[in-house]
Amino acid sequence: MTEQEHDLIMYLERDQLVSDRSRPVPPASLSRRATVALWALRVFVLVTSAMVVYTFVSQL
Amino acid sequence: MTPVPGSIPEPALEGASADGRGGGIPGSLTPEDLIRSKDRFRVHNARQGRRRWYLLWLLVGPGILAMLGENDGPSMISYATSGATYGLGFFLPFIVVTFGMATVCQEMCMRIGTVTHRGYGQLVLERFGRLWGWFAAGDLVVTNLVTLVAEFVAIRIGLAYFHLGAGVAALLGVVLVLFTLSGGRYWRWERIVLGMAIFNGLFLVAAIMVGPSWGSVGRAMVTFSPFPHGSLNTLLLLVASTIGATVTPWMIFFQQSASADKGMTPDDVRHGRYDTVAGAILAGLFGCGALIAGAALATHGGANIQGLAGAGFPGALAGVSGKAVATVFALGLIEAGAVAVLTISASTGYAVGECVGAPHSLNSSARGAALFYGANIGAAVIAAAIILIPGAPLLSIALNANVLATVLLPVALVFMIMLANDHELMGRWANGRTTNRVAIGIVAFISLCGAAYAIDSFLQAVHLI
Repeated sequence: MTEQEHDLIMYLERDQLVSDRSRPVPPASLSRRATVALWALRVFVLVTSAMVVYTFVSQL
Repeated sequence: MTPVPGSIPEPALEGASADGRGGGIPGSLTPEDLIRSKDRFRVHNARQGRRRWYLLWLLVGPGILAMLGENDGPSMISYATSGATYGLGFFLPFIVVTFGMATVCQEMCMRIGTVTHRGYGQLVLERFGRLWGWFAAGDLVVTNLVTLVAEFVAIRIGLAYFHLGAGVAALLGVVLVLFTLSGGRYWRWERIVLGMAIFNGLFLVAAIMVGPSWGSVGRAMVTFSPFPHGSLNTLLLLVASTIGATVTPWMIFFQQSASADKGMTPDDVRHGRYDTVAGAILAGLFGCGALIAGAALATHGGANIQGLAGAGFPGALAGVSGKAVATVFALGLIEAGAVAVLTISASTGYAVGECVGAPHSLNSSARGAALFYGANIGAAVIAAAIILIPGAPLLSIALNANVLATVLLPVALVFMIMLANDHELMGRWANGRTTNRVAIGIVAFISLCGAAYAIDSFLQAVHLI
């Protein structure tokens, strides 16, 4: 690395470096209520998506 | 120490410094780091030199691109269909409302990307587990592929007015993707796409050229009337399409990842907000332009145009408003499709790279981020190939793409709100109470519209109503 490049890199925040961004953030701890709500959301989306896809296919 | 604009800075101290520099410590540095640091050097100098407009010029991009990218082929066809079917009325101000909703959502993902320097897919995967991460990415890839097909359809419709076929549309889209990716620099990619996106204004030009009654436009804007009549299913389809035309999963992935890739920091949040609001205003104006242009057909058999799902728009406009309007509208469709091909392909690349954990930056070379570039180009190539299949139901795909995006949107929005409220990640940049109330209201409204359309259409398809 040249001196110029060394100086330029200081304009990045430490956590902007690729090596830092690749480090995973710790998992979130979800409450039981939040987990249930997320599963309900997943079921809702799967059911409505299936309806849209079925409707689309039946129109072909 | 204050670096002189345009000069190479003097040697710096390690750690965060008082003059606003970040203080990254060279360790295992990559070419991507060096390229991004050059962009940050320019931002730093502009800020130190109090060159406000230059600073704004450097920092705008992701917000305008997300908003104008979403003013894509299917969206403009959807707006023009609303205008041709119902004239100037409810849907005109409804477009403005949906861009208001988009502003709230996009500001959140800009803020998350700017503060965490990470993309949406990566954060969902790491914070909520692989299942949710892959669900979000899978949801995005499916809707992106369908939407990309619709973009190529829009390009094809626009080119068809100039007597050019599907092969030219497919080639144009893929060549544009290859060309914009060839520089290995986010800044270059962003500026080229921004330059193209300005031509979304052609829809506003078309609107002015059809000579609408500006009194009617003003009345519709203020009163949300006349309210559309007709079948409930058609109305729900148009409402869901209009929402799907302004708030979509790919926009969330794109703006958050692009803000991080651009190298924005919490110091840039204010400019990120300007960028997002400017994008929403431009996109709202141009979207309304498409509806107003389409409304010229309302008293000339506009309902029949809807049946063609937009394929006949330029030709029909030529008959009613003249060839000049039709040419502008056709060029607008080509632009809308082309810009969206670029932004949606990029969001696919970001999502795949983030979820697999592979390098994912436009500041990387193709060799350094092979999967990112491969997914980006691959998505465009697959969509281009589909429009070349004889007899493929392309027009039906174009209209249903937005509806599918609307139905799948709640998952993306819920995770985005959770991330924006994550104090461990966001610190003082986490959502406030008012933002949360508005955001939750938006998610509920969008979910309700998507579900209402899905259920109504499904019941009709199985002949229960």
